[in-house]
Amino acid sequence: MMVRGRKHGVDEMIAYQESSCESREPRAHMSSWVIVSTWTGYIKEMARVVLAILREIFDESAYARFLSLHRLHSSTSTYAEFLREHEVEKVRRPRCC
Amino acid sequence: MVVIGAWGPMHKLLRVLIWVAVAALGALAVSTIALDRGEQINAMWLVVAAFCSYALGYRFYSKFIAAKVLALDPQRATPAERLDNGRDFVPTNKWVVFGHHFAAIAGPGPLVGPVLAAQFGYLPGTLWILAGAVLGGCVQDFVILLFSIRRDGKSLTEMAKEEIGRVGGAVAYISVISIVVILLGATALIVVNALKSSPWGTFTIAMTIPIALLMGLYLRRIRPAKVLETSLIGFVLVLVAIWGGQWVSQNAWTARAFTFTAPTLAILIIVYGFAASAMPVWLLLGPRDYLSTFVKLGTIAVLATGIVIFRPTLHMPALTSFIDGSGPVFAGKIFPFGFIIIACGAVSGFHSLISSGTTPKLIRRESEARMVGYGAMMAESLVAIMAMIAACVLQPGTYFAISSPAGIVGQAPEAAAATISSWGFPVTAAGMHSLAQAVGEQTLFNRTGGAPAFAVGMANIFSNSLGGQAVMALWYHFAIMFEALFILTILDAGTRVGRFMIQDALGHVWKPLGRTSWYPSTLATSAMIVAAWGWFLWQGVKDPLGGINSLWPLFGIANQLLATVALCVATTIIIKMGKIRYGAVTLVPLVWLVSVTFTASWNKIFNPNPRIGFLAHAQQLAASAASGHEVSRLIVNDRLDALVTGLLVSMVGLILLQSLVEWARVLSGRKAPAVKEVPFVASHFATEEQG
Repeated sequence: MMVRGRKHGVDEMIAYQESSCESREPRAHMSSWVIVSTWTGYIKEMARVVLAILREIFDESAYARFLSLHRLHSSTSTYAEFLREHEVEKVRRPRCC
Repeated sequence: MVVIGAWGPMHKLLRVLIWVAVAALGALAVSTIALDRGEQINAMWLVVAAFCSYALGYRFYSKFIAAKVLALDPQRATPAERLDNGRDFVPTNKWVVFGHHFAAIAGPGPLVGPVLAAQFGYLPGTLWILAGAVLGGCVQDFVILLFSIRRDGKSLTEMAKEEIGRVGGAVAYISVISIVVILLGATALIVVNALKSSPWGTFTIAMTIPIALLMGLYLRRIRPAKVLETSLIGFVLVLVAIWGGQWVSQNAWTARAFTFTAPTLAILIIVYGFAASAMPVWLLLGPRDYLSTFVKLGTIAVLATGIVIFRPTLHMPALTSFIDGSGPVFAGKIFPFGFIIIACGAVSGFHSLISSGTTPKLIRRESEARMVGYGAMMAESLVAIMAMIAACVLQPGTYFAISSPAGIVGQAPEAAAATISSWGFPVTAAGMHSLAQAVGEQTLFNRTGGAPAFAVGMANIFSNSLGGQAVMALWYHFAIMFEALFILTILDAGTRVGRFMIQDALGHVWKPLGRTSWYPSTLATSAMIVAAWGWFLWQGVKDPLGGINSLWPLFGIANQLLATVALCVATTIIIKMGKIRYGAVTLVPLVWLVSVTFTASWNKIFNPNPRIGFLAHAQQLAASAASGHEVSRLIVNDRLDALVTGLLVSMVGLILLQSLVEWARVLSGRKAPAVKEVPFVASHFATEEQG
């Protein structure tokens, strides 16, 4: 869930990677390398990005936004409401050949 | 600081050396695939050429466009930020938007087009995919995305209306609905050709309907919103259905129950399209969409891994004699038809609908449009390269036996094998029979449409290692299921999109017809759109030349005419931005597409060869001794096809003319060069990052 003005999860990680790549300070490169020190950490972050992509493609993120926007908890009825609200938007979404 | 001083130039030199090496490797790969004659080459050369071309295109060309032509401004707030409503407009991480955009643009098109174009050999299609994508398709997707971002996420139709004029908007609307109808008819035909007389494939695809219904109920009642989990369960059930299909095909009673002729399958698909359009989205369309996306992403990943690991050899020659237009898969010379058949992997007008649809409403910063717009199209182009490899790893004789219609090579296996062997591509009826048995089919002759050839190619790549020949049938039916499942998703979703478009238009005539929740309107407009694409499908099924011969070029023409509209809009905006000196960026692909599509349209209507020209074919039928209702209908179909092509090309000619007038007025100073961008607002994200 993205909140304006703050970065969370994947966004934080991506912003961090961007800033470390764009930085011209060699010490910044070194410190970034220290922070993302192991391959395990790197793979975990990549897995988080992939999961975030899948959650967006499969509308799980859209449902999370819907719950947050309407201050609701997940349930059968709220999911049905979400589907009703998103039906027109979803079927109007173009899909290529 | 001393360290920086020493490291800086070294770092720069290293980067220069790396890019020189990439360029040299790319040149080596392209020259190997272009100049090598007489011996088979490894598929990895195509992959290396593709990666190097994309890397150079992205690093240098897209950067040039971003900096000089579009002047991407990370300080400028995007509509996702300014209009953030937590629904359509949501600032989203660039990788997530990239995945979302790629999932929307990648369909069966980049798989089918290259497989059909492989009749020219692997070289022309590969070069067109690489050059077309880097210089045309990626550019179109990128600039339309950015222009839509700067207009609050407006659609291509709205931008055409605002920047070119009312005619532009109307033509874009009619082009979109035409392309949707032709696309649905052409892709439905691919499913019919892949499933006819194939109990295994038909059973597997039929099973995806109850699986989707089960997923819909599971999602709605048992585990609300757990789409990934549900899709995984659905995927496992589909694999069970593929495995079970083998039993169905081997049992006499069940095999008979699931063996259908092409006309019967066409009727079933038309009925399915209507039902899916009228049924609640959550019950069938939604779950099937999720399932097909899951299968699609998985299959593309598996195919890419397979090609890289197994590095298959290409058996198809670089060029075949069919570049002269005498090809059996589809008729027509390499120019213009080679550039029409491969649309989605090189330039696809349809992408401009997505670049001006959901994606511009998600982009967080302008600078990210480059990676999403240009980058996702590169990924799509890579899928097309993989499809070309899958087709070209087959022995050419096998490829032509599968992909040639009975009307060209003959109905009997022996006659077909003799005809194909006489072209210099040896194949035997016994060899094809063994191959059909290995993949669990009764026959592989005359399986036009591209999907069966792709499936055999994919099965061939994997059967040489993973499980050997024993699991070739499973790989084949997995590939068939993948394409059919995805195409059926496009059919039901596309039918709904078309339905909404018709309802939007009819709502201007009588308001209740525009209400999407009014059931009489829903049923009537669903019937209208299904009848429209069903007509193309039926015509294709009854065509003795395999249907795909007429329909796929028609689809390619419609798709690339839409790209012409998109590039007209883009060029107009660039001129109005006062950047005529960079106009060639969109003008060159526009000129190329105009020459290709207009030549192809002329040929499809007026070419004297009955295999190419609709009117010549109608004339041949009229002059033949055969008569009766069927022949009369074929003649009417041909004339109607010619009319549809003529109307499409005339409308695009009109929009081109109106664009030229608009350019002349702006460049001569008779009209102020004002674009309809929303005013600049500083981005919160940019200031936050600076802080």
